[in-house]
Parts: sequence; structure tokens; C-alpha cells
Amino acid sequence: MTDLTYDKLKANFPDAVLGKEDFHGETTITVSPDALLKVAKFLRDDPELRYNLLLDVYGVDRMKLGQSPRFASTYELFSVPHARHVRLNVPLKDVGGGQEETPQVDSVTGIWSTANWLERETYDLMGIEFKGHPWLHRILLPQNWVGHPLRKDYPIGGEPVYFTADRDNPRFAHLGKQIMDVPAFHSELEDMDANGHLVINMGPQHPATHGVLRLAVELDGERVVSCKPEVGYLHSGFEKTGESIRYEKFIPYCDRLDYVSSMSNNLGYVMAVERLLGVEVPQHAQYARVILTELQRIASHMVWLGTHAMDVSGTIHALLMYAFYWREQILDIFEMVCGARMTTSYFNVGGLRWPLPGAFEDAVRHFLKGFPEVMKDFEAMLTDNPVWRARLEGVGVLTAEEALDLGVTGPLLRAAGEPFDLRKVKPYSSYDHFDFDIPTATEADSYARYKVRMAELWQSLRIIEQGLEKLGKGPHITDDRKVALPPRDEISTSMEALIHHFKLVTEGFKPPVGRVYGMIENPKGILAFGLISDGSAVPYRLRVRGPSFVNLQATDLMARQGLLSDIVTVVGSIDIVLGEVDR
Amino acid sequence: MGLVELNDFSITPAGGHQKDGAVGLVMANLSELVGWGRKYSLHPLLFGLACCAIEQISAGMSRFDISRFGAEVFRASPRQSDLIIISGRVSNKMAPVVRRLYDQMLEPKWVIAMGDCASCGGPFNNYAIVQGVDKIIPVDVYVPGCPPRPEALFYAILRLQQKVQKFGIGEREG
Ligand code: SF4
Repeated sequence: MTDLTYDKLKANFPDAVLGKEDFHGETTITVSPDALLKVAKFLRDDPELRYNLLLDVYGVDRMKLGQSPRFASTYELFSVPHARHVRLNVPLKDVGGGQEETPQVDSVTGIWSTANWLERETYDLMGIEFKGHPWLHRILLPQNWVGHPLRKDYPIGGEPVYFTADRDNPRFAHLGKQIMDVPAFHSELEDMDANGHLVINMGPQHPATHGVLRLAVELDGERVVSCKPEVGYLHSGFEKTGESIRYEKFIPYCDRLDYVSSMSNNLGYVMAVERLLGVEVPQHAQYARVILTELQRIASHMVWLGTHAMDVSGTIHALLMYAFYWREQILDIFEMVCGARMTTSYFNVGGLRWPLPGAFEDAVRHFLKGFPEVMKDFEAMLTDNPVWRARLEGVGVLTAEEALDLGVTGPLLRAAGEPFDLRKVKPYSSYDHFDFDIPTATEADSYARYKVRMAELWQSLRIIEQGLEKLGKGPHITDDRKVALPPRDEISTSMEALIHHFKLVTEGFKPPVGRVYGMIENPKGILAFGLISDGSAVPYRLRVRGPSFVNLQATDLMARQGLLSDIVTVVGSIDIVLGEVDR
Repeated sequence: MGLVELNDFSITPAGGHQKDGAVGLVMANLSELVGWGRKYSLHPLLFGLACCAIEQISAGMSRFDISRFGAEVFRASPRQSDLIIISGRVSNKMAPVVRRLYDQMLEPKWVIAMGDCASCGGPFNNYAIVQGVDKIIPVDVYVPGCPPRPEALFYAILRLQQKVQKFGIGEREG
């Protein structure tokens, strides 16, 4: 299918298109940097292509791949009308060797607004300069940071941690006494009119920002003139860490990205690795994955519902309690399955880490019996609640066009009337065997998002019910011994199994050279993992696209012209998790 | 270290009335009495950093119910709180903010480092994360776990209460 894209590009820009690579069903088109803007505009506007969603922009430092030039920037495009994905690879001109080199490329912010933050992130972490970017400053790291961590010549950092620190030892005398200097980090304050308007600061410690988000709000009376999020207070170097450990060892890290939906994160990551390896997952494991990720979707929406209701009204504290009570029921199932409540790491490359416990199905059935009643209670409490409606209706409107331009996905996009859900559009993990609907709404405001998420909960219940029927019995993990450990009893009888076991544990598996971009529909939007393999057991480049990060960029647009108090509604209705925003 | 040690201070009523529950006349050392009052009315700062913060919220919800230990009144302002639970990884960008929040709290104040990240950097031994929040503020109780279960947080609060009890009225040293 994507050949159409290549053919059209080749026909229209014969000089600019430098090549094409196909790998496991994904197409990478190499484009010369000089023609990037023209090509991008064509890809977006051509009626047969319509790549209207820019999923991701990230840089690749190819220093250790031995490719020249050293830096390349990558654009992941998705065409919502045609359900097509293509990747543009743009090798950047060498600006000369040495430490100081800063490769440059044109900014695509004029074509897809979502590029704004993505390019800032690439600038911050990879040191690629985007010409024509409206405000190219660091976004995740402090403004006074030196260097660009994702470059291959930047050390991963860290330090040895002494677990036997005692305060009498002079070596640890500084502990707890070292006062850090506190530079004022300006977000995009420079554009704000600090004399005519009131500029106030929300966060990073604020009860309604859902973590360490900071908002700089410019007010005219109570009207919001602009609202600029400042992120990065939880930047934890996921990508750099991922590039220093073996593929399978990153699975526990993805739990900690969007920590209220660890199962879905696991699924997204292992599916990307499976695509890279080209392994098949047994049917039983696929259904189990669907059940667990849908349970996770419910748990994640429960966190959203409870906190959102409490933020907005300040009085529906009981609802938060109920929502968390039902989340606990799901966490109990997870604990039964894998031993952990939140950080599950249950999905393994090739299947599940170990078989489902015997009581799993009964536990899920038990949950399915109780939960619909509570759903009805929630709806009775909120749907026609005058306070709830007054605080949500007409607040934070984001039309489908604006949403796509800003790269916003998930319930926010569906609440604007665009039935875009990867589970239907590009089914993975056997979602096409299930019968479910994609709830949408047309009002595009916070209330519509509430309704869409509530309807999604009902659909998740439907999916889980069908999943239980289909689940059956079967192997929980692939029998490809190059990827998955052999069962214990095989090891004691077969030399070959022992060797496989030894190899996997000591060296890990080695995917073929290539690159993939695995996307899934997380509770919050499209979560994607980009992987570049150089043939070793460690990913050469690991890219995480967090839906919260991209969605958060819409705050400014959604909060403008609203009231100050509506900002809380807007942030709550985007449903962010800062672990994933800052990565 | 069981409950016996945790109950190292108790109020002994003097003068009858034990059957009807009325305390009657109480004789106690003032500093012990102040410590006793403080330890059952910890006001944690409403502040969460990462995954551990979600377990911290769970600890406050109906199932685990932190109010059983007298620490449920989360205050949104550091000036009203005497306990800060560092629940998550502290990045280099966040570190000055954490320090400032701590400085804004009134004495006496206590710190719980919840989770591996706050205690020692946890899984993130890299350029972005401060390897243990004790590099910037003094920590009273460390809670291992990634994330620690709410029960573990409660155990930390019980241990902290012990410490608060012993603290008396005086100034904090160091
Ligand atoms: S200790 Fe674990 S769960 Fe807690 S913040 Fe760190 S990574 Fe997250």
C-alpha cells in the first residue's frame, strides 16, 4: 500500500527522494533535507495521501552505525483517512566535525503544529536545530543544561550509590546539606505581557496538575489569555537508559512510563520488539493480553474519573474513593497474575511471562459482575449532575481539525467526532476478532470527553467478556527458542534447550538490522515505541512517543479565553500522566 | 521491632474512672505529651512525583485508609505541613523545587523517602535523576520498593511516629 506514497513522491520530487527501505511491513523513505518542507506539504495535502497526523519527530545519532552524515531526523506520519503509516528519514548535512557541531534542518511546525514540542524535544536531547521554529528552547532539561544526552558520545551518567551511608562518615557529610541553586526557569514567558496582564504560576507542586506539571498562566481579569505548560520536571532519561540495556530489560521500565497503565505500555513495547524480531504470538496469549489491557484501560479511566471529579467539584471526594476501590479490584487481579499491583511487567517478548493462574477467569468474571452496577452509579452521580455539567460543558473545546494538527489522539480526538482508534484502524493482538464499537461525540468539549470515556468503559467490559469466552487453553509464550526461554523440565532433559537458555540469559536475543515503530491505542492516546536495531542485543535507538506529552500541548489552545478555574477542567480532561510526558 | 517498641509511650491515667473511659487526671512529661500529640497528627504535604505517588494516593483511599494512623490530612501548602513524602524520582530539574518546598515547611518537619528512586535513584541511574533525595534534604525514613505497597508506607509512618515521639519539644539538630 505504501508504495503509492513512494511512487507519488518519486514522480513529483525525483531529485529529493533518495531511497526507500521496507522492513517488516514498514516503509522508510529517505528525503533530502533541502526538499523536506515541500515534500511534507505534499504528503499532507495530496488527496490520495493525506498524511494529516504527524505522530513523531525524533533524531538519530548514527555515529556508531558508521553511516554518514552523522545525524538524521525522522518523521513518523500517519494518514487518518487512509489508515497508512510512513516514515521520512532525513539525513542532515554535516556541519563539520568536532563537539560543537549542530546539524540544522527546516522546522515543519508550519505544516503540523504538533511538531513544536517534538522538535523542541529533539533539539533538547539530540541537539538538532530546527530553522524557523517559533521558540526553540530546551523543553525537558533545565535551560542551563550543557550537552545533548541522546547523542552517542554523551555518557549515560549516574553514579555509584552507597547503601551503607552513615552520617558520621565524612564522605557523606554533605548529604542533606547541599543547597541547590534555584534558577528561575522561564517557560514561554517572554511572549507574555507581564505589565498589562497578570501572570501566575501553577505548579510544579499543585493539587490539580496531576503531578509535577507547571503552567504559566497569563490572565486578563479571570480570562485566560494564554496558558503555557512547562514540562520536564520528571524527566528520567528513559530513552538513554533503554539504549544501554538489552531489549527485554526495558520491559520493566515501560511500566514506569504511564504508571497507571503499565499493562498497555508493556503490550506496546513487546509488540514493537516482536515486530522487529518477526515472531508470532500464540493465540491464547494474544487474548490474554487483550483482556489484561482492557482491564488496565478501566483502571486507568478510574484514576482519571476519580481525580477529574475531585478536581472539578472539590466535593465529590466520595467518587474518588469509589473509583479507587474498583481500581483496587483490578489491581488484585493483576497481583494474582504477576505478583505486582502496579508495575506488572507481565507481558514478555513472544507472549506472557508465565501462564495465567487457574483462578484468573473466575476473578475477572467476578469483577464483570460487580462493575456494571458501579458504572451505573457513576453515571447517575455525574451525567446529569448540574454542577458537573456546568463545569464541563463548553469548556476546553478542541475540534477534530485542531486536534489532528496538534497530533492529539485518543479520547480527545474521538470526542471531537473523529472515530480514530488503532484497535479498529490497525488491529493488533487479535482485536479484529472482537466485536466492539468506537464511541465518539461531536461537541468536542470536556463533557463530550467524559461521555466518550464512560462509553469506552462499557466497550472494554464487552471486550473482556468476549475475551474470556475466546481465551481457552494454549501455550502462553512462543516456542521460538531464540526468543523465549525453554520450559524448566525441558532444560533438564535436552542439551539444546540448555544452550538456548544459557544464550538467552547471558546474551539476550539479537534482532535483525532494521527499524520499526510499534503503535498501540493506550487509554490516553497513541503510544508508540520506535526501535532501531544494529543487530546487537541492545537497541541502538529507542524512541518513546508518549500520548500525554503530545496531548498536553493542546492545553494552551483549549484553555484560552476560558476562565482560570477552567484550566483545572482542561488539564483533567486531557488525562495526563507526567511520567509519560517527561519520560 | 514490633508493636511493643512502637508503644513506647502511653498515658497512664491516675485517679480511677478507667471503667467509664474518662481519663481523669493525667500526669505526663510535657515533651512526651507534645511528641504524642504530634505523632498522631502528621500533616503530609499534598505532593506526588511519580509512580510511587499513585500508591501514596491508594494509601489514602478507603481500602488502606491512612487516617487510621492520623496522617490523612494532606495539605496543599508546605507551610501547613510537617511531613513531606518524596514519592518518586527526583530529576535534576525538580531538585531545586523539592529543596524549596522543604525549606518552606515549618519546623519541626520530617521526610519520608518513598520508593527506590527517592531513596537511591532506583532503576534510573542516569544523567537525569538525582541519586537519592537525601542529597538535597535530610531523610528520616526510607521505604524500599518499586513502588512500595501502601502497607510499607504505613510501616514507615509508624516508624516515623516513633521518631517524632522521641523528638520532644526541642530544636531539630543539624
Ligand atoms: S521507585 Fe519505582 S515505582 Fe517508585 S517512582 Fe521510582 S520507578 Fe516509580
